[in-house]
Amino acid sequence: MSIETLTQFLAPTYENFPKGRTIGMVVLRKTQSELILRTEGSGEPMCSEFVQAGFQHKNSLQRLVMTKRKQVAPERRFGREQLRGFELLYPNKDGAVCSLNTNAPCEMCIDCFLYGFAAGGGGAQKSRVWTEDAFSLLPTSETVAERTINAIFETGTMRDENGKASTALNTSEYIKPGVHFLDVVTLKDMTADEMRYVLGNILMTPRYGAVSSRIGRMENQILGIFGGITELPSSLELVQSLYDALIEANTPLEHPFDTDLLVEMTKGAIATWTNRRGISRQLTEEQLTDVIADVDRHWDGERETFLKRLDRSYETFRKPPAKASSSRKGKKNAEPVTPEG
Amino acid sequence: MSLLTTIENTRANLPLFKQARLVELWCAEPVFFASRELSDAYYTEGVLGNYALAYALGWVRSPYRLSGTATWRPTYLEDLGGLSDCYVLPAWPKQGKVTFRWERFNALSDSYWYAMTNNRVATSREDLPVQREGKKPNSFRPSNFPQSGRLRTIARGNLFQTLVFGNRELPDYIRVGKFMSKVRVEVISELKQVALSEGMYQSSAYLNTADLPAELQMLSFDLISIPPAPLVKNLRFQGAAWQFGEIIVPVGICFCGGGIK
Ligand SMILES: [Zn+2]
Repeated sequence: MSIETLTQFLAPTYENFPKGRTIGMVVLRKTQSELILRTEGSGEPMCSEFVQAGFQHKNSLQRLVMTKRKQVAPERRFGREQLRGFELLYPNKDGAVCSLNTNAPCEMCIDCFLYGFAAGGGGAQKSRVWTEDAFSLLPTSETVAERTINAIFETGTMRDENGKASTALNTSEYIKPGVHFLDVVTLKDMTADEMRYVLGNILMTPRYGAVSSRIGRMENQILGIFGGITELPSSLELVQSLYDALIEANTPLEHPFDTDLLVEMTKGAIATWTNRRGISRQLTEEQLTDVIADVDRHWDGERETFLKRLDRSYETFRKPPAKASSSRKGKKNAEPVTPEG
Repeated sequence: MSLLTTIENTRANLPLFKQARLVELWCAEPVFFASRELSDAYYTEGVLGNYALAYALGWVRSPYRLSGTATWRPTYLEDLGGLSDCYVLPAWPKQGKVTFRWERFNALSDSYWYAMTNNRVATSREDLPVQREGKKPNSFRPSNFPQSGRLRTIARGNLFQTLVFGNRELPDYIRVGKFMSKVRVEVISELKQVALSEGMYQSSAYLNTADLPAELQMLSFDLISIPPAPLVKNLRFQGAAWQFGEIIVPVGICFCGGGIK
């Protein structure tokens, strides 16, 4: 029951009105295999952005970006697989089982209550899991590689029986294994069980980005948990402060970067955060380990009991999804579908 | 006698701000508001609206679950109209210019399986067997939600400034826009109010037209048309004014012109 260390910053039950209880987490995401994070159509092959390298060092640096969408979608999917397994996803207004990316969510399941939804007919829930774009510490020159894909013919050559050359020659970029992303996740007005659920999703989601059986593996580790009434600094500011520390210590910006060193540096950088206004407590190393063990325990032996208990906690707040109101029907929705799911 | 006249001339709920803080807002993430829509493109204007800021600063608590009419009818008047101890101006770009970034969105990128059907991205794999039987599955029904398009967002790293009136404590970070983008809040300076008597003034701030006193004589301005209420900049007006640092605003500026009368 070690998550109770955070009781002061957790809600006793789901409530509809925000009360400023804020849990901030620093997440280290490390690629375990090749990873492909493509931008959606801006022309660049891999998600990256020029940003200021550090606070002191104001030169610009191209870093990989893992957008909030690329994080939260697979994490939600992981949780929803579990919910589906225990039949904890509910039918939507059309009678179909709750699913992401449609305008007919069930409005009743754990995922809907935590990560939010916007239903086409009216009805919406704001997400209480606030993610943000994560950045690589090292520049893309170190973290991205290129691969040439060629489709050879059955003859084992690039020419077919008639001597025609293969056109299936392509180069594609990928993120190398062993690349570190630093990330800040915020949980708002969450109950202990809800926090366990979200943490489980983060710790157990195996793959991100473009999906295949060979690529996209990523391991997530929680480096710090904070409780307070306000948010932690952004992930960009975190990598910027680490960059300054790296330069200060004459550590080369080279891949592969030593994970132990990175963890140590990050913990050093975030240790001062409790001095900021509104961030009142950081869990000690021991308490942090306890919380992770608590989460593992709930997701391991007690998973069914835990998920069903969390599901029951929404009982009194549940309302079956409303049919679209006649005044609203047919009216074009001015807001685009949030590409969050 | 003179005291009486002053009271009579002052609207009952008119806020009197003795101080303001000049605040800088740094966009740690790209910021998106659906300010304008043209075909499949959604444009964010280069401004952070003050109603959005008031919610983001936590001055009003809007519920996590919205149902029924609340999902599309905003409650600015009910929520903000009663606030008399604080006010915030729409935030203007510090360098006068905003850099934007285009993003493509589609509702299909992250799904294991999808198909484009009647203006609708079908994502439910369970519907496949139903489709094979020649029936029309649920997820194949037409959608009146846009399923793909382009977004113009305010790029990461843009700096905005605004004035925050009153003494309420400010958070270090806020979330704004449709995608809850993180924005850092930094107080640059504390400013005392200087009362300026009736006259002709020019304001360098961005002002929300819904928050200006009804009787204000507006002589000239540039209009920024965004929902929920248009903003003006470079306003020249006739009337009494307050000066905070270099910024002049009409006396009596407040949320929704003072709320429900
Ligand atoms: Zn649901």
